[in-house]
Amino acid sequence: MPQIDVLSGAPRRLQRSGVRMPRWLSRALLYLGVLAFLAIILLPFYWILLSSITPKFKMFSIPPRYWPDQITFENYAKMAQTIPFTRYFGNSLVFAFGSSVVSVALAFLASYGLARVRFRGSNLVFMGFLISIAVPQVGTLVPLFEMFRIFHLINKPIGLITLMSSLLVPFTVWILVSFVQQVPVEIEEAASIDGARLPQILWYVVVPVVKPALATMMIINFIISWNELLYPLVFATDRLTKTLSVGLVELAVDPSMGAGRPWDLMSALSVTMIIPVLILVLGFQRLIISGLTRGAIKG
Amino acid sequence: MAEMAAGTGAAIEGQGRRKRRGTSLAGRRYLAATLLLLPAVALRLFTAFYPFVHTFYLALTNYNPAFPPAKFIGFGNLKRMAGDAGVTSSITFTILFVLISTLLELILGLAVGSLLNKQFKGRGIARAANLIPWAMPMVVCAIGFRWMFDGDYGIFPDLIWRVTGLRFPWLISFWGSRAAVIITNVWKSTPFLGLVFLAALQGVPAELYEAARVDGANAWQSFRSITLPLLLPQATTMGLFMLVWQLASFDLIFTMTGGGPGFATQVLAYNIYQAAFGGLNFGYASAISLALFAVVFVMGGLGLLIYRQVEVMY
Repeated sequence: MPQIDVLSGAPRRLQRSGVRMPRWLSRALLYLGVLAFLAIILLPFYWILLSSITPKFKMFSIPPRYWPDQITFENYAKMAQTIPFTRYFGNSLVFAFGSSVVSVALAFLASYGLARVRFRGSNLVFMGFLISIAVPQVGTLVPLFEMFRIFHLINKPIGLITLMSSLLVPFTVWILVSFVQQVPVEIEEAASIDGARLPQILWYVVVPVVKPALATMMIINFIISWNELLYPLVFATDRLTKTLSVGLVELAVDPSMGAGRPWDLMSALSVTMIIPVLILVLGFQRLIISGLTRGAIKG
Repeated sequence: MAEMAAGTGAAIEGQGRRKRRGTSLAGRRYLAATLLLLPAVALRLFTAFYPFVHTFYLALTNYNPAFPPAKFIGFGNLKRMAGDAGVTSSITFTILFVLISTLLELILGLAVGSLLNKQFKGRGIARAANLIPWAMPMVVCAIGFRWMFDGDYGIFPDLIWRVTGLRFPWLISFWGSRAAVIITNVWKSTPFLGLVFLAALQGVPAELYEAARVDGANAWQSFRSITLPLLLPQATTMGLFMLVWQLASFDLIFTMTGGGPGFATQVLAYNIYQAAFGGLNFGYASAISLALFAVVFVMGGLGLLIYRQVEVMY
């Protein structure tokens, strides 16, 4: 029985050309897709976790083992003995926390200036921040290295935090400008009529309103800095500043290990490095998603 | 001091109206803007702009920090680069790597975004899981995938062997290693795009799909005539961003393959690092940096053209 369009009296075109699936089949396909998606997303994490709790003598088996049959934590113990794990962990914390606080603080001031103070060239400054994202990080290492050598900033947490904050600032400004623009100007005006100065308005009026956005960007920037390799690899060469990412890469490319790689140590270190990030991601899922999609959606 | 401190946008407007002093008003506004922007702008000038400019000078020298006096050698580095098989093959693979990665990420990101926008049990878990690749350090991804692609102990060669009976040499063959590196990169970056597309899709009224369904459109038809046109602006923005962003990829190649086998997976970022901190050839490394800047400029420019084109269309 062909359906007829009420208005034109013609048979519906889409109905004829479109092949409709029975509902149960489309549901089944959907769940199949979801399962495939989850498998692909989780497999690498599962594989690393599995390796980290597999005894070393069972790790190198052909064919590989897909399920744990003997669980051990000796890889973790051995990893903590081989590299100064707690030291690197602490260094990573200082580096990531410092970079996230500094970058968000500076980006907040800048984005307030861009969003609220009307001056000629404000668009230019904003574009400057965005275009500077395109300058490849690796392409600036040599001049930076020279500069840091002259100012004795190599192997200093403050030097690393300066570089990392700078890398994070443009993206953070981009996101925060849109948040600051949403703060109703009236509360600031009211505060200013009551005699509040700029620093007071910023601290007592604006910061409380944009606090969720600031927290979001601090979490995101913490994760990005925690995962960062290149700056610590170049500018942290002693155990007082090396981060976990550098420790991990040194295990992965250490020539003294010969052809074989210490997969037992690498997988254990990988898992310990992921855990703090995983806690943050699962705990602050909503905030992170709102921050990450902010810039892309309005643009 | 007291005058300038009052200079927030709102505060200035308010006080200006009261005092009726136009010029000092503008002055205060500029002072406030300067003070607010100075820290962030200064940081970018010193750590991004100055090094960028300085690279152009260093590229004309043979500077090596172990043998201090830098000599001006003009285009000597450029000549050396043209004859350096490592660098020329790098330029090709850098462009290939970025183009293929971005294309795959856009397509798969659209698929992931549409999937996560559907109604199904466990959607919250799937959305949370989608964040994991984004949050995982690239270093860990590189190590994990290298282990999974391993010819003897890896899961991928084993799975492929179980299904097809063939053993494909991933990390020790030219195209195999290139494919492995790109697969890893796409796995890591696609979920971020999926997230962005999902957020965009959530802004699309459900009635639109409902109406299409009533009209008898199947899944593919409603995707083609609703989802795709609505997401095109986001897709081009993100495509442009990923194109430029991934040109600087370093962690993945450095940790996963070390550029090997041979030159197969070397990218410009890797060459720069090796020349500078492996060989201490700061001058030569700067010259390769210029090559990378040029690639960024060309690719970014082409991306921008496409972006403009799409902007006009919609």
